[in-house]
Amino acid sequence: MGKLDGKVACITGGTRSIGRAMADAFLAEGAKVVVNGRDEAKGQQCLNEMGAGDNAAFYAGDASKQEAVEGLIDFTIEKYGQLDICCLNSGGVLMTAPVAQMTDEEWKLEVDWNLNHVFWGMRRALQHMIPRESGRIIVTSSVEGKLGKPGIPGYSATKHAVNGLVKAAAQEVGTLGITVNAILPGIIETDIVRETGPDSAIAMGVDGYDELIEIFASESAIKRPNKVEEVAAVAVLLASDAAKNMTACMFPVDGGTMPY
Amino acid sequence: MGLLDGRVACITGGTRGIGLAIAQGFLDEGARVVVNGRDESKAERTLAELDAGDRVHYIAGDVKQRDVCEALVDGTVDHFGRIDILVPNAGGSSGNAPVAELADENLQDGLVWNFWHTFWTMRRAFHYMIPQEWGRVMPVSSVEGKVGKPGLAIYVVAKHAINGLVKSAAHEVGTLGITVNALCPGAIETDTMIEQGPPAAEAMGLSYQGLLDVFASESAIKRLNDVEEVAAVATLLASEAGAGITGSLISIDGGTAPY
Repeated sequence: MGKLDGKVACITGGTRSIGRAMADAFLAEGAKVVVNGRDEAKGQQCLNEMGAGDNAAFYAGDASKQEAVEGLIDFTIEKYGQLDICCLNSGGVLMTAPVAQMTDEEWKLEVDWNLNHVFWGMRRALQHMIPRESGRIIVTSSVEGKLGKPGIPGYSATKHAVNGLVKAAAQEVGTLGITVNAILPGIIETDIVRETGPDSAIAMGVDGYDELIEIFASESAIKRPNKVEEVAAVAVLLASDAAKNMTACMFPVDGGTMPY
Repeated sequence: MGLLDGRVACITGGTRGIGLAIAQGFLDEGARVVVNGRDESKAERTLAELDAGDRVHYIAGDVKQRDVCEALVDGTVDHFGRIDILVPNAGGSSGNAPVAELADENLQDGLVWNFWHTFWTMRRAFHYMIPQEWGRVMPVSSVEGKVGKPGLAIYVVAKHAINGLVKSAAHEVGTLGITVNALCPGAIETDTMIEQGPPAAEAMGLSYQGLLDVFASESAIKRLNDVEEVAAVATLLASEAGAGITGSLISIDGGTAPY
């Protein structure tokens, strides 16, 4: 008996790190899961590693593109007949810079990737969930959705924005059996952070990747980065029946960095 | 294999309502649990209901007294050999009135009941948790620890104080494997609410049903919360997966205070 028996989930950016930990945790609780990512080969590798047979599927697509996000939702419903849990998890920074040096291209990428992707996915998912009067929308936001760091203005701005979107949408569907929540992790050494961290460190004017991680950790009470499993456990809780009345939460998984 | 195998928890006010649901949640995940309450007869009913044999133990006492709070923590260690999880859950308020008419003794009583009891049990539990470098402390605060309602200053002030204590303490013990978080439920129609709600409503110029309607109307779900929801969050925080969550005010309020 799993907490998510009979449920169907989709996860943007689900082949690695936080999204992958969510997928593993959902599968362990009995759900069927569609994971999304850009790279077909990584997707197949992910499916092989998960070893969940017909209970897992991969949908290739770039989460910063509307057709890919909507395509994921539609594919999930077509494949498994329904969508109960929509995790809008993909996001990050690519070539960030202080505001004064920020390019339009980078800004647009971050808005599409971190904010518009959440809106597109949420809208499409709600159109399916509202008639069914059941659903869970779980957005991977960030501790940077509550505060701001120099050098990553697009990330901070878009994560603040998704928090506002979550609060508004939660009120809209609060009486329809649908919850909308944001999880706000502190820094986690995910693949994406390892890939983009060095550039972010330069933009933030700090001395390399290790120093970047240290700055985030030092702001917390636990003085260490968080872990993907900690985020996945919260996602399972929010997806479960026990959390049916938890909505509009800004759920921190940040080791005490932002206590509100 | 439970999430809390081998863990020992102590819950104040654990014989009814939220505390009882948390006790059940912890027992289901393999923990051993001490529940506390004032009334022996209620405790017998609770122990029968929990039906967990020697994995559950009752310690009587009124948490408005420091000696009782400290003895409760010590008694948990005496009985089960350790304390891993502390849930200061008892609380409430009586003698509510608008601030202009609020009596010193009623505010004082509410602070002792909610805030001092949390402090006394937390301080004592830290004496055990710090050397063992593992612990979970999770006071049951309230959505009223984040917002304020007219006529409920006693409760609002005490719950805000608990939230401040949680934030400070979390940083003190953050590198020692100990987390400190506040559970912030919206209104739940527990026995305590049924007892204390009508006079509180009167202080707010409302009927009891009117009071419940106010809480529900402020949420997104337009209804009250359930004790099982609080228990599910408590279990998550108590588990290994909760190690990275501390200093947090966790909302279980149907969307009322989204921060």
